[in-house]
Amino acid sequence: SLSKKMKEDKMSNPVEEYFEAHSSSKVLTSDRTLQKLQKRRLNQETLRDLLKKAPFPFAAEIKELNEEHESLFSKWMLQLHLGFNIVLYGLGSKWDLLEKFRISMLQESVHLVVNGYFPSITVRSILNSVTEEVLEHTGTFRSPLDQLEFIMKRFKEDSSLELYVVIHNLDSQMLRGERSQQILAQLSSLPRIYLIASIDHINAPLMWDQAKLSLYNWLWYETTTFSPYVEETSYENSLLVQQSGSLALSSLTHVLRSLTPNARGIFRLLAQHQLENKDNPSYPGLSFQDFYQHCREAFLVNSDLTLRAQLTEFRDHKLIRTKRAADGVEYVLIPVDDSTLTDFLEKEDEDV
Amino acid sequence: GVNVTDHDLTFKSLSELIQNNITPYVASLQAKDCPGIKNLMQKLMGQLMNCYVDVDSSDEEDCAQVSQNRIRCSMTSLISWYENITKKTDSETPSRKRTSSRHLQSPPVVIIFKDMESFTTKVLQDFIVISSQHIHELPLILIFGIATSPMIIHSLLPHSVSSLLCIELFQSLSCKEHLSTIIDKLLLTTRFAFKLSEKVLQVLINIFLYHDFSVQNFIKGFQLCIVEHFYSQPLSVLCCQLLEAKKRVNSLSHSQCENIRRLPSFRRYVESQESEKQIALLTSDNFLKEAVQKLLEDLHVYHENYVPVLRCLHVFTSSLPKYPLGKQIRELHCACLESRVWESEDYESSLQLARMLNKSDLVTMLQKCVEIFVSSSGKEFDKVVEKLKDFLAQFQKPEGACQEQEESISSQKELQKKTDLYHLQKTLLELKESRRSKKLTKFEILRFEVVDFIDSLVRNYLVPADHKTLHEIMYFNTASTLREHLNAAPRIALHTALNNPYCYLKNQALKSDGGSISNKAPDICIVYKLHLECGRLINLVDWLEAFSTVVTAVEGPNGDAAVSDQVDDIIHARFIRAVSELELLGFIKPSKQKTDHVARLTWGGC
Repeated sequence: SLSKKMKEDKMSNPVEEYFEAHSSSKVLTSDRTLQKLQKRRLNQETLRDLLKKAPFPFAAEIKELNEEHESLFSKWMLQLHLGFNIVLYGLGSKWDLLEKFRISMLQESVHLVVNGYFPSITVRSILNSVTEEVLEHTGTFRSPLDQLEFIMKRFKEDSSLELYVVIHNLDSQMLRGERSQQILAQLSSLPRIYLIASIDHINAPLMWDQAKLSLYNWLWYETTTFSPYVEETSYENSLLVQQSGSLALSSLTHVLRSLTPNARGIFRLLAQHQLENKDNPSYPGLSFQDFYQHCREAFLVNSDLTLRAQLTEFRDHKLIRTKRAADGVEYVLIPVDDSTLTDFLEKEDEDV
Repeated sequence: GVNVTDHDLTFKSLSELIQNNITPYVASLQAKDCPGIKNLMQKLMGQLMNCYVDVDSSDEEDCAQVSQNRIRCSMTSLISWYENITKKTDSETPSRKRTSSRHLQSPPVVIIFKDMESFTTKVLQDFIVISSQHIHELPLILIFGIATSPMIIHSLLPHSVSSLLCIELFQSLSCKEHLSTIIDKLLLTTRFAFKLSEKVLQVLINIFLYHDFSVQNFIKGFQLCIVEHFYSQPLSVLCCQLLEAKKRVNSLSHSQCENIRRLPSFRRYVESQESEKQIALLTSDNFLKEAVQKLLEDLHVYHENYVPVLRCLHVFTSSLPKYPLGKQIRELHCACLESRVWESEDYESSLQLARMLNKSDLVTMLQKCVEIFVSSSGKEFDKVVEKLKDFLAQFQKPEGACQEQEESISSQKELQKKTDLYHLQKTLLELKESRRSKKLTKFEILRFEVVDFIDSLVRNYLVPADHKTLHEIMYFNTASTLREHLNAAPRIALHTALNNPYCYLKNQALKSDGGSISNKAPDICIVYKLHLECGRLINLVDWLEAFSTVVTAVEGPNGDAAVSDQVDDIIHARFIRAVSELELLGFIKPSKQKTDHVARLTWGGC
């Protein structure tokens, strides 16, 4: 019975560890902050420069690893043609590897490279590039589903079409949504679309259910490369890196998600208004009074004060900018480019 | 069943069947297309009208009309369309009337909901309520595909809605039955030269039974096996029908002959030959080719004999209590491929049990066996069949049983005759004696003979394939690659790479024992290791300092005080890179609970 007990101990160990880690809400860490460290914060540029100087150990071994993976290229091609799709996993960036694959095997044929780590990528932009550049179709679609249907129809009719799709980081923030994965899976299930993708996140396989897995028809390949994630992390907003540049779509959605429904409604209203006037170059923004009126009509605020408080919060997150015109009226603007805003509204619509 | 992936085919054939036999109006809807009632109606209209166009694609006008109509889709337009159609079919196409004469005026409209569980309840309810109000004008039949149990109808739909439905349940075959037919048709025949070895088959079956119950995935795995086999094994060119293979053997090149010589099973074969023959086999290509042809023939004959004997054995073992050798034929197949089956304990016990079978069971079993052997194509079974028939005939003769009865009756009579105690005792003793030493009845002898005969069959024909020469040509046996590509574990790969980089980077400096990690390891490994030691929240400053301590210990000897600031910056940058990589991999996420802290998303040692 002793051995049995030992076994039980071992069995319950991971579970125990989980509860141990989450049992006390109090966390014992020191209170030191980076502010006190007397260190200037680095921005992306200096970070990159510094990293260039950093030593790069084990270059020979890493090269050996990569050569091993590269010897599989012709096998991958064969398997892609047989109707399987390839997914690569393992530690280290697989960007170089896929790029090499592209250069050595796909030079001759039509191929599409998707950088999933790019923070404002959406499925729609992938589908657009398929319809516009591969199928040379100039038209708009009401929804991604219609677009997908069109693509599927064209591929079924025309047997000469072939397309290789290379997706770096299939599990990135923007592509991991259920709907995007569904669409990508259906795309990849077409017999003459060959998909080769890489994943990095430890929980990436959670995003696929049975149906999607069977559509994807994956063959898994472990390609541990140990090469640093240079491209992929350049967009990852680390705490230690100074933020610069305009707001990305992903950060926009993230901030908005943590707000109340009413606050989201207010932002939406403003965004819609701005998009309606996007062709008018002299549009100064929505005046505060008008904005208040609109919000009141939509039952989003009940007083002048609440709206002001809300706007202050938006301003703190750099979601809006206010400026005073010549006549002394305050105008509110969203300092984000229109395409990002459109994408954002679409995504909101999907979520609702 | 839960194997959603296989359902598409079923629904497709179902809708085709309905379309051909009953009504041309079949639409199938999927949950992902119908987030709202509007989309549902739109999709439905589109499909029904397309269906209609599919069936009689004669009039082009209608086609154009249809595409226009798609814009505004409502129940009323659907009904008016339906009325139009029915009118038209009545007046114009008498042929259809004949085929669907029962629904002369109104062929029903069938709508298939492929995945009931993933529909939004509201959409479903609304649709059912709406359509039930129009049932008089539009005869609708709804078919729901349910993955779980019929209870779901009642939990998804409130009583008021489900009472509008007239439900009849149908069951589909369980996926296990599909699997056994596939194994039967695909593996246990001689039609296909390609075979799976025991381990590979076990992996495929395990994935099926423990993960997904999906027949499609099983087939996918089988396809992968074929690809891998023909890609990696240079001698797989010979994996085809016997005649073709013989031809190909003749045209083998010298290097291919060398490949044959290198096969482990062929080496074993060579070693068992006489020395002269050995030399000839190893030096002369022509002699080798002849020998290989003969060996291939042997292998072919082995396959031909294997299957019927296996089925025969299955007939015996599947009826035994507790199924010592397994209930399904696939388990028996695995057992036979794994090792010599007659050496296993299970086989021993099943023979013991078989010796105790009663007559009627035995007869039916033997009959089944005869059927199997007759239908099989193997040449050697004529004798076997004869023998089995002989057995049967003997069983048909009722002697054995009669004799036994007579004996017992006579002894009873004796008992009744003698009445005094002494005699009674004596006769009872005698009776006992005679019973103990009594020869086995004819039936019992026969039974033993049958069982022994089966046993000998097994021993002759069910030799595991591994023991056959040249089995590498036909059998695919690298189960590990299969498992890697079908059932991967990315988490484990990440864990080993981070914990023990030596597995991948073969550098002596990285070799470490136990839990400790060398401080020369890649940055991300060090950062990961340090993060393992923390609780739920991690202070970035402390983390950075720990990291720089570890790293400077490496560079310590040649570090100067003057450049230390520069070095510090570089270490800082490296740390940032490693932390953001960990964030990308999903081990940590930024936390708002405390300034400059990150939260850990994993727990324990991984």
